Amino acid sequence: MAGVDVVIAEDSRIQAKILQKRLTDAGHAVRWAENGSDALVLVRERRPDIVISDIEMPVMTGYEFCKAVKSDPGLKTIPFIMMSTLSDPIDIIRGLDAGADNYVTKPYDPDYLLGRMQSLLDSPVGDTTEAAMLEVALAGQKFRVHAGRQQVLNLLVSTFENAVAKNQELIATNQDLSVTRDRLQQSNAELTNLNEEISRRNAQMVRDLEAAAKVQRSLLPAADVTLASAEVAWRYVPCHSLAGDFLNFFPLDDQHAGLFVVDVSGHGVPSSLMAVTVGRFLTPKVSEQSLLVRQGADGGLVIASPAEVATQLNRLFQADEFSGLYFTMLYGVLHLPSGRLDYVSSGHPALLRAAAAGGVEFHGIDGFPIGFVPDVEYEQRSLQLSPGDRIYLYSDGVTEAMDKDREPLGDQALADFIAGSRGQPLEQSVAGLLETVEQWCQPNGPLDDVSILGLEWRQAE
Amino acid sequence: MDQFRRIQAGKTGDIHMVLFKDKKILDDTVLDEIKSEIMTLIGKASGPDMLLDFGNVEFMSSAMLGLLGTLHRKIAAGHGRLKMCNIRPEIFQVFKLTNLDKLFSIHKDAPTALATFT
Repeated sequence: MAGVDVVIAEDSRIQAKILQKRLTDAGHAVRWAENGSDALVLVRERRPDIVISDIEMPVMTGYEFCKAVKSDPGLKTIPFIMMSTLSDPIDIIRGLDAGADNYVTKPYDPDYLLGRMQSLLDSPVGDTTEAAMLEVALAGQKFRVHAGRQQVLNLLVSTFENAVAKNQELIATNQDLSVTRDRLQQSNAELTNLNEEISRRNAQMVRDLEAAAKVQRSLLPAADVTLASAEVAWRYVPCHSLAGDFLNFFPLDDQHAGLFVVDVSGHGVPSSLMAVTVGRFLTPKVSEQSLLVRQGADGGLVIASPAEVATQLNRLFQADEFSGLYFTMLYGVLHLPSGRLDYVSSGHPALLRAAAAGGVEFHGIDGFPIGFVPDVEYEQRSLQLSPGDRIYLYSDGVTEAMDKDREPLGDQALADFIAGSRGQPLEQSVAGLLETVEQWCQPNGPLDDVSILGLEWRQAE
Repeated sequence: MDQFRRIQAGKTGDIHMVLFKDKKILDDTVLDEIKSEIMTLIGKASGPDMLLDFGNVEFMSSAMLGLLGTLHRKIAAGHGRLKMCNIRPEIFQVFKLTNLDKLFSIHKDAPTALATFT
């Protein structure tokens, strides 16, 4: 299409700019006015080849502007395009009455608009002298419209084309929607599958954890184990389903009993795996693995000294770079007839003695945690118990238990409680200590595993 | 440039200075990140001297000791020296409980610690 002269009437500056750019790019000369009245001035100044007008404008609407052009004998053959949202069917009647030649619905497709201009310019608007009063019924109302046949035809065809174009857009949008809906349904199905998979795996994990916790419980004292001349009470509360702590006591032979509390650093799966592994070496049954007892050259049973046990463990369990896990342990061998306790500590909290005669004291030994320093020799000590004396082994989950202000329970509170519970049975004293720890940690509860092992020695009859 | 999330790393002469940024070194995630950041740092150096500054640390789990042990061995293996400073009493308690105050070289503050490297 050769460049033509276009007048546009549009009150929105932005809309006008966009339209102007489109038309200029297509090679047309454009004059713009922001209402019908100013546009009419432009049209009269110099007769354009085509007029494009918005409808809703201040001062003079598009209908009034169109009527003014179409009632001017010198201007009436200029093709007149109305830009309408066509939100109301009455718009068509108004357009007809005003004498508009064509409708383009907003928002418009620029190519469609240019095509429309082309066809209007190709078939010039006839002199609508045959314009007559027509009677139209719309939405139950009768309208009297002054229009020519050619104009009616053009306008209705353009309206129809618009409707078809809009309908096609609608169909395309619908198809997009239905594709999107299918995708959504597919995604939903995938999500459901994934959720089921997560539930399955979670259930598997819970089962595995339960199995692991069961294995770990096998590290704890057997229910039916008793010692000839000692009473034992213990409590063990892991802070997660799997713990790094474990404790045990057992007869080593008919004169000796072994007892220990082990605390592997950290909690959860890695620590508990380590605990189970360490536990296999701390068995009172003669085996390849037991570090506690072995068969002597004469066929008799040899009980390893606590220092020997710690030194061997340290050789076996050097913390590797990967896990960084280490453990502390207090291991004692009690000679049941005499009440002599030989013990070793590898960085473990001191054992506490509550003497039958009254008074409590801590007995600690300096020794690095197992796994820290290669080839270290552990030192052991002996403690002579008197009949009725009690000893308490425990993990740092007791003394380091933190209250809500992160204040640790501490050694003094432990000693005070044990001294105060001296008059109670051992079982009650141990249970009371656990309760004290749990009370201290309110409302959050212990953040570490809590292990307590208490023993009262009685001289054999 | 701050290349690490958990530690602030610098150098005084040939000595690597590592300042822990966290107030609390309690959960495993923090610990794992500290570990990998320090390992990245030493990965580049051979037999480094290192000073760990605990000035910001208010709470520390005993699992952190495992990391310090690993670090201690790794640095000693390369004939380097590991020292620590600015450890507040509550944190020092964690070292003392496990006797590790006797294994590690612990100093009051950074200048005191640096003076012992020469």
